[in-house]
Amino acid sequence: MTKIENINRAEALRYMGYKKGMEISGMGPLIDKCEEELINTIIPRYCFRIFEIEPYHRFVRLINCSLELKGKDISAHLKDCGKAIVLAATLSSHTDKLINKYKISDMTSAFILDCLASAAIEQICDIAEKEILASVGTDNATWRFSPGYGDLPIEQQRDIINCLNAEKLIGLTVTDSNILIPRKSVTAVIGVSEKEIPKGKKGCSICSMSDTCQYRKRGEHCGA
Amino acid sequence: MELDTLLKKNYIILDGAMGTMLQSQGLEAGDIPELLSITEPEKIINIHKSYIEAGSNIIYANTFGANRYKLEACKYSVSEIVKAAVSNAKKACEGTDTLTALDIGPIGQLLEPTGNLKFEEAYDIFKEIIVSGKDADIIVFETMTDLYEVKAGLLAAKENSDKPIIVTMTFEENMRTFTGCSLSSMAITLEGLGADAIGVNCSLGPRELYPIIEEMSRWTNLPIVIKPNAGLPDPITNKYSITPVEFAQCIGKLNKFGIKYVGGCCGTDPDFIRETVKVLDTLKPVVNKKEIPSAICSSVKTVTVDMPRIIGERINPTGKKLFKEALKNKDIDYILGQAIEQVQGGAEILDVNVGLPDIDEKEMMVTAIKAIQSVTDVPLQIDSTIPEVLEAALRVYNGKPIVNSVNGEEESLANVLPLVKKYGAAVVGLTLDSNGIPPKAEKRIEIAEKIMKRALAEGIPKRDIYIDCLTLTASAEQAAVIETLKAVEEVKNGLGLHTVLGVSNISFGLPNRTLINSCFLTMALTKGLDLPIINPNTEAMTGAVRAYRLLANHDVNSAEFIDTYGSISSEPIQKASAEHTLEYAIEKGLKSEAKAITSKLLETMEPMEVINEIVIPSLDKAGNEFEKGRIFLPQLILSAGVAQEAFDEIKKKIAKTDEKTISKGKIVIATVKGDIHDIGKNIVKVLLENYGYTVIDLGKDVEYERVVNAVRENNCRLVGLSALMTTTLGAMADTIKLIRENGLDCKIMVGGAVLTPDYAKRIGADYYSKDAKQSVDIAKKVLG
Repeated sequence: MTKIENINRAEALRYMGYKKGMEISGMGPLIDKCEEELINTIIPRYCFRIFEIEPYHRFVRLINCSLELKGKDISAHLKDCGKAIVLAATLSSHTDKLINKYKISDMTSAFILDCLASAAIEQICDIAEKEILASVGTDNATWRFSPGYGDLPIEQQRDIINCLNAEKLIGLTVTDSNILIPRKSVTAVIGVSEKEIPKGKKGCSICSMSDTCQYRKRGEHCGA
Repeated sequence: MELDTLLKKNYIILDGAMGTMLQSQGLEAGDIPELLSITEPEKIINIHKSYIEAGSNIIYANTFGANRYKLEACKYSVSEIVKAAVSNAKKACEGTDTLTALDIGPIGQLLEPTGNLKFEEAYDIFKEIIVSGKDADIIVFETMTDLYEVKAGLLAAKENSDKPIIVTMTFEENMRTFTGCSLSSMAITLEGLGADAIGVNCSLGPRELYPIIEEMSRWTNLPIVIKPNAGLPDPITNKYSITPVEFAQCIGKLNKFGIKYVGGCCGTDPDFIRETVKVLDTLKPVVNKKEIPSAICSSVKTVTVDMPRIIGERINPTGKKLFKEALKNKDIDYILGQAIEQVQGGAEILDVNVGLPDIDEKEMMVTAIKAIQSVTDVPLQIDSTIPEVLEAALRVYNGKPIVNSVNGEEESLANVLPLVKKYGAAVVGLTLDSNGIPPKAEKRIEIAEKIMKRALAEGIPKRDIYIDCLTLTASAEQAAVIETLKAVEEVKNGLGLHTVLGVSNISFGLPNRTLINSCFLTMALTKGLDLPIINPNTEAMTGAVRAYRLLANHDVNSAEFIDTYGSISSEPIQKASAEHTLEYAIEKGLKSEAKAITSKLLETMEPMEVINEIVIPSLDKAGNEFEKGRIFLPQLILSAGVAQEAFDEIKKKIAKTDEKTISKGKIVIATVKGDIHDIGKNIVKVLLENYGYTVIDLGKDVEYERVVNAVRENNCRLVGLSALMTTTLGAMADTIKLIRENGLDCKIMVGGAVLTPDYAKRIGADYYSKDAKQSVDIAKKVLG
């Protein structure tokens, strides 16, 4: 189990649609209360495996694993990497239950909790990534690439869960329409290289959401 | 050889890991191990044989993941794979006394309400495996984390096989499974449902399992099963930490808790089994024969009946106009609101009664039970007079509930008690029969005794029988009050049964009902009442129970009492201050003030005036601020939430004055099939409702036909559809298509992060709504 003391407020506020200059003071105490309740509810867990990889033009083969990552975007992402960390992380189903309860009794809190939880799962992924890279002893890693981004099919959520045995290890499953359950969960692939790789940032050009993204419309970046 | 013969042995040795053995022989991550039963049977048979040689009395067939969902992409059917696996295991057992178990693991998808696999579908998936594996000697469920899934499996096994059933679940160091199931909930639920042995497998090593097995043994006298991992795995290498000898020594230390079935899980191999046999050969088995606490539970919360516990009475339409209306409109959120409010008030158990002449009570009960369990953890009391309704609810309930009720009539005893036994519930026995409620205590005690004897004969343990000696109205039958109390005392002390009593009835027809109720409650508690059924939202009532628990020395060190009241000053909470207006409360998000101000306004204003002149203009103001980017979404929702409080007050007033409810029109909303993102849809709902529209919320993952039917049944002129994923936009288009094909005269608005105005037009929607505020503008345009 991974612990966090605080949830990244700036990120959570961004998910809530907050922009500089808006009046916020009145919401502070409620967001504080939600944050405290969420931190006491979540049971963050993650699991991972490290595979040697063979990147080709339109897919990436994982050695000793039946999983093959599909698409030119993931291939480009991992092209300079000899290994990949396949990661899955979740805040646990207790989080879903908490948010569901508030959907009935207090929609404002439900929405705030939902945004806080989205920020929290990214923090858990950051921690996981840091811990894994430390144990491997390298800094040469790409950013996290998840199914549904670029042309990596969202259907591969299920393959990743299977290859990590994530259902058994952290209780993570996926629905027929490829939604992760518990809801606040992430699967991702991180490339690891012998040599230094340029610290790129996730770009909008290959993102499947680039036409409709609310952040992009505001001239921002989703930050993921 | 049969399990009964095997049970005469001191210990029954299970096998070790199958997956670990296969991985060491080259199975890759992500491969389906169950396929090998057909493609490489010799490999599997050899692993079985190695365990039999090591001393296993039962081996698990290679069927752990052999279910419809996990084998979806595989060219063999569930039946083919299960039959091959069982046949391999039987071959390995030939010439020995070893038995074969049909091994069933989790389906791989989470059940409702967390996931979206239906309980009934889970049952079918398990049934298919059980029927295919009928040649096995025993059925095993293992590595389970969701009690609800286990219940589906156990029912499928009981109803489609007569083989013994073993269940093991997987617990973390926090003594709970991933889904939050506790050891007590697991034990009392599964023993009630008729498992033959229960225990723990996987997750941890035998050393870490010590406190877990200790806790489990407190809650059951069933034989205990353990199948631990070989210690804990290294995160990088995946190698497990302890040796076969250490493993066996740790197992030996668990002997005192009544372990009977012993094997190994991940990381173990035949050496672990061999060493375990050596250690167990030196030990004497311990047979558990302790008293099990009287308790009921949900999957995460166990409530023991060892002191007075509050049962909330509010989920019941009797005498409640708004509740009846909600039932007729299938407004499940109303019921859920009542559930949450009562739990916040102090209810520890909720009575659930949804009986109304013109509705399908069975369907509504099932929906209500599932929905209430998705938002609260307290155990439920299923309240109906119809056995079919009780059974339907008992099936889908997650945990061990109370059945309310059986009575002394022959028909009731014959119909209800077998259900209570089959589903392992506790039961309320009413002390009445075909002659009605006896006026004297003695006769009521006789009926209680009759119910007890019949329940015991049915196999229901004494601790699960709760007797209701029945409260009569003091205004009508004043002398009978003391008879009820006498009966409570005698049932508790003479028969040694727990007691339950509906309290509120006592004051019917009298002024100052709360005073009478709380006084009668205290009198009954001193006579031995365990389960008062009360309105937990009335402070005087919950307070009386809390004070009693303190004074009777149940609330040790007054901890609960101080925790509840310690921080509240004895000054009455200030009512709405005069200078605040409803406009101000809505703008600033002051919920409780809004309620008080509205109630005051209604003394001088008509309900419609309050809505049109204050509530809606205030919401408009917040909406404009939001559009201009001066406030952000949580503030808008908060303002709408405050308006909701005002609306609730107005609705109450209208219900009292018997006017027809005012509505500006009905709107059906849904998150489309395949999609379960519903935060946005719910925000839209809150806003629309507070502009005076009646919203029929179909929820998430909604079938196309349900939308069509709802529009037709309610004559809706506006439908709102939401989708949040590019992959579910197709379902949105199909829903719209079906609405059009049915020729329904309604406008369709669509919304969700992945939509564009262009796309909305292309799939045939009339309006694209970019946010919740805009959906209100559209509703105004369409419905006025």
